[in-house]
Amino acid sequence: MSKFTEAIAEFTEKHPTLYRCVLLGENMFKKAIFGCQDCGQCVLSYNAFVCCMRCPKQMRNGPCGGTRANGRCEVYPNRPCIWWLIYKRAKWMGRAAKLKKYHVPVDRRLEHTSAWMNMFAGRILPLDLSKELREIELPKKEPPPKW
Amino acid sequence: MVSGSRLERLLRQGEFVVCGEMSPPQGADKAPILKKCEYFRGYVDAVNLTDNQTAIVRMSSIVSSFFVLEGGCEPIMQMTCRDRNRLAQQSDLLGAYAIGIRNVLCLTGDYQTFGNQGDAKGVFDLDSVQLIHTVADMNRGRLLSGDELKPPPAFFIGGAANPFAEPLEMRIIRLEKKVAAGVHFIQTQPVFDWSRFEKWMSAVRDVGLDEKVFIIVGVMPVRSAKALLYMRDEVPGMSIPDECIKRMESAQDPKEEGIRMCVETMQRLRNTPGVRGIHIMPVMWESITPRLVEEAGLLPRPEPLSIEETSPETAETS
Repeated sequence: MSKFTEAIAEFTEKHPTLYRCVLLGENMFKKAIFGCQDCGQCVLSYNAFVCCMRCPKQMRNGPCGGTRANGRCEVYPNRPCIWWLIYKRAKWMGRAAKLKKYHVPVDRRLEHTSAWMNMFAGRILPLDLSKELREIELPKKEPPPKW
Repeated sequence: MVSGSRLERLLRQGEFVVCGEMSPPQGADKAPILKKCEYFRGYVDAVNLTDNQTAIVRMSSIVSSFFVLEGGCEPIMQMTCRDRNRLAQQSDLLGAYAIGIRNVLCLTGDYQTFGNQGDAKGVFDLDSVQLIHTVADMNRGRLLSGDELKPPPAFFIGGAANPFAEPLEMRIIRLEKKVAAGVHFIQTQPVFDWSRFEKWMSAVRDVGLDEKVFIIVGVMPVRSAKALLYMRDEVPGMSIPDECIKRMESAQDPKEEGIRMCVETMQRLRNTPGVRGIHIMPVMWESITPRLVEEAGLLPRPEPLSIEETSPETAETS
């Protein structure tokens, strides 16, 4: 991201109360709308705005082999397979090409931190809806302090 | 050539390979493994060793693979993401290579509640695509941390694919991801539903994935119609057509019928373009493997050329 957003993130992360407020706001929004699991490195924009971390196996790169014929999860038969939802929604939104992106292993240090601030600080890929998928070599950055 | 394993050499020579599968014993003795090796030696080219299959505790797949080597067969060690985090996976892989294991099959793993210890914590630190990428990176001499490996391992990397789960397009996308991550061979779920398998296979051929990766297709001998019904109703992601069940139900001798059905599938797969081998999964019925291979006309098993004899074209790494 830009110098400006990095400054915002740096300022927020220095102030625990502000950071907690941002985190609370983000959680309230994302938990209510997307069922956010607080991984701190959001991939919603690639997954047609369905959170793949809701999958019991936390599959980030596509469905496991257990999707039932009716599109239900193998672990919880009364729930839909998250990747089934992602696929249907991506098709509907015309974003199926974005499903081909390879997602690197989750950085567990970022769990329960603000994905927005992590994005501003340049720790994760920006939420970029306009451009094609790009492979960006991310700078190695320290995780945020946990308040 | 990546690893120079028997399986890899045969595949790169264009041979039609046969893989077996063995569940490690639920006990602290290697004798059952060595005994089962007799069903495989000379009949299959490599044997899969399951890693706590269906989340039921058995002997470790690494150690069992070592005993399979001792028994004179080539192991394909399965590694799941359910039981280990990325640190354990990488260190286990280094150890596995050091004791002579060359083939590794990277899986996400059955969810822990499918087994008899559903109260366990599932790790799922990496997923199977990320694990494949990690092993490929280790082959290139690098750990996930970026640390250099001296010397690096040289694994022949496998992955799994399920041709029968929906949606089909997503399955192909996932297979493409696995290929991009660096997988060398793919093993599939057992085939019962031919129409669905043909659909998947032609989709795979359409995107040219059969050229980039060796596809080894699963078959399973069943002993009764009950087993088929169980798989249809209880094992998610399996597709069993009704005619298979009818055929087993109406058979005089269901065991023989099951074998005949499996052999027919094997012969049909032998002539399917893009299919480079068969993976026989006789769940707890390993002793049937020699008969299946013989009746399908896949004996004798070819001997691979040595690495030096392999021509440069086939030796190229894909």
